[in-house]
Amino acid sequence: MPDGATQQAHRLHDVWVIFLWCGAFVYAVTAGLIAWSVLRWPRRNASHYPKQFSENKRIEIIYTVLPLLMVIGLFVVTDRAEQYVEMLSPRPALTVNVTGFRWSWRFDYPNNGVSIQGTPANPPQLTLPLGATTRIILTSADVNHAFWIPAFLFKRDAIPGVVNQFDLTPDKVGITRGACAEFCGLDHAFMTFTVNVLPPDRFANWLRTAHRTAFLETERR
Amino acid sequence: MKGVLTWTTATGHKHIGVLYMVTALIFLGIGGLLADVLRTQLAQPQLAVVQPHLFNQIFTLHGTTMIFLAIAPFAFGLANYLIPLQIGAPDMAFPRLNAFTYWLFLLGGLTVFSGLLTEGGAASAGWTAYAPLSSVRVSAGFGQDLWALGLIMTGISGILTAVNFLTTVFIYRAPGMQMWRMPVFTWEMVATSLLIMMAFPPLTAALALLLIDRRMGGHFFDPSAGGSAVLYQHLFWFFGHPEVYVMILPYFGVVTEIVATFSRKPVFGYVGLVLAGFAIAGLSMGVWAHHMFTTGAVNNPFFSALSFLIAVPTGIKYFNWIGTMWGGSIELATPMLFILGFLFNFLIGGITGVMVASPPIDFHVEDSYFLVSHFHYTLGGGSLFAVLAAVFFYFPKVYGVRLREGMGKLAFALSFVGFNLTFAPMFFLGIMGMPRRVATYPPLPGWGPLNLAATCGAAMLTLAFLSILANIAISLRKPIPAGDNPWDGYTLECGTSSPPPEFNFHHLPPIRSERPVFDANHPELSGS
Repeated sequence: MPDGATQQAHRLHDVWVIFLWCGAFVYAVTAGLIAWSVLRWPRRNASHYPKQFSENKRIEIIYTVLPLLMVIGLFVVTDRAEQYVEMLSPRPALTVNVTGFRWSWRFDYPNNGVSIQGTPANPPQLTLPLGATTRIILTSADVNHAFWIPAFLFKRDAIPGVVNQFDLTPDKVGITRGACAEFCGLDHAFMTFTVNVLPPDRFANWLRTAHRTAFLETERR
Repeated sequence: MKGVLTWTTATGHKHIGVLYMVTALIFLGIGGLLADVLRTQLAQPQLAVVQPHLFNQIFTLHGTTMIFLAIAPFAFGLANYLIPLQIGAPDMAFPRLNAFTYWLFLLGGLTVFSGLLTEGGAASAGWTAYAPLSSVRVSAGFGQDLWALGLIMTGISGILTAVNFLTTVFIYRAPGMQMWRMPVFTWEMVATSLLIMMAFPPLTAALALLLIDRRMGGHFFDPSAGGSAVLYQHLFWFFGHPEVYVMILPYFGVVTEIVATFSRKPVFGYVGLVLAGFAIAGLSMGVWAHHMFTTGAVNNPFFSALSFLIAVPTGIKYFNWIGTMWGGSIELATPMLFILGFLFNFLIGGITGVMVASPPIDFHVEDSYFLVSHFHYTLGGGSLFAVLAAVFFYFPKVYGVRLREGMGKLAFALSFVGFNLTFAPMFFLGIMGMPRRVATYPPLPGWGPLNLAATCGAAMLTLAFLSILANIAISLRKPIPAGDNPWDGYTLECGTSSPPPEFNFHHLPPIRSERPVFDANHPELSGS
């Protein structure tokens, strides 16, 4: 299980690790008991009938209570991590409006006069600053989509008529893939994008250049 | 001609049961072939065996077929056949209604498929048909309407079937067959029927609203006119999650019967096992929104907590089956092998089910191949393996003829290896970032080989299914008589001839426990 590339993703990753270990333990115990029973008590003789026993209150209580305690523990882990990941920063460093449409994405930086729009053949790039909290404001222009960045271990649906908000705080530089996860029709498979996380100074440079390009394009029109 | 007429108008529960099961198995074959096309397209990156529009129709039909026309209807067929036999009744409570439900189900299935004949093809918005993707603006073809109409028919058929099962169980039990002496399969069908009656009407409502939106100018799910896209998901999953248990509870019953029979022991904790089934049914009514964690509309720990809780009664069932095998005399005949396959596969489906019920994990793998793998481990590795176990287990009772054991074991080996080869790689693909329902994918490191492995597994599963068909053909052509009680079973259906006479029993053994036939055959061993 790869660790994530945002502060939020590290918390998500912790949950993954706990669940995978618990799952492996439950599988080993249960599958082990099944395999043991089959190997230990095969029918060697067609006329053999074993002792006809059933019911054991103590064992039945144990196998009800132990799993119950386990899922309560898992629920506590889940709830804490979810609270953390869903938390919205009172003052995000940057806001990006993300709009899904058939079949690409538009990334608007409303406070910086930058807008980037892709096509299925030419996927757009979302540029984010390292170590700063970015507020993503997500919606859809037509049908349901889902904004998924696997390296961030996170996605959220883009739904027409609904505005979803969440924070991302990347802590690894580099380019990673993103994709639409909610089936949206013909070119769903090509509704991809890339995410480029830049150190703060290079991000500021990128933002200035992108703003100037956008400004010149408007002038030209 | 007259023969066909009698055949289509017959109302006996065994006749209807076999019609249901055979039809469901044919749909299963069609659904499997559709899956083979999907796997061929996805065998390598950037293949174009079929165009995306056809690919989308194929996976929509694959999901719709398996869920609405194969896995659940096979259980209805088995229950039609078995419930009257297991409770010592001559037939179902409403035989003509029973026949009606079968023909309505078939008509519904054919209506869904008739979309293929329309311009624009069959429905292509996925088996979930989320609005607004399924709206007339985006999916203009009549295939989508036929899909909704067809599923309204199968839904109504299911509701009427549930009414029939419940009435039969409550009113038609033989003298001595108290509720707490009923076989576990019959009990699970009681839980399933209650679930159907609560969960299917919301689906009918959702589909009716969808049709009103599509063809009568409604705006229930149209956000641009004040409707809500999320409302559709609530309605759909309010049906959709209980439906998951409609497709598994009957098979928990099959597992219980087969495990106990081949271990030659009574069910370990009969009452606990039955109550666990009802606990699962009850909890499953309150977990629908775990399908919607990524919508942002249901950030409420309630749905996660309730989903986790389902692991407890499911665990009770597992430990019951282990307790039943413990100290038994276990015969690894083909039905029992398929049940062991069920136990190992469904365990993975259940554990990954707890994982995806945790929003922090679901945020990554929702709508990815991890999820595809998870639910195939429950419905394919679980329910489908129990379907195949039931085919081998009940075929001798239904036709009075044994299936070939050697070929059966071969089918098990092929399907167990094939199944895991198909779906285990998908867990990794999902974690690596492959979304579901994509018509193709880029050549990223590892994606090609993992997908190729999955496609090879699908080919093995196809061979397994073909070998079962060949087994049935050979066994019917050169019959080996099964005898009345081919597996040394203990429920009432083992106490009549194979196949049973028209009204099931010439005489009934005394019913003093949940194992009347065992008591009659082994008075020295039975406790009562």
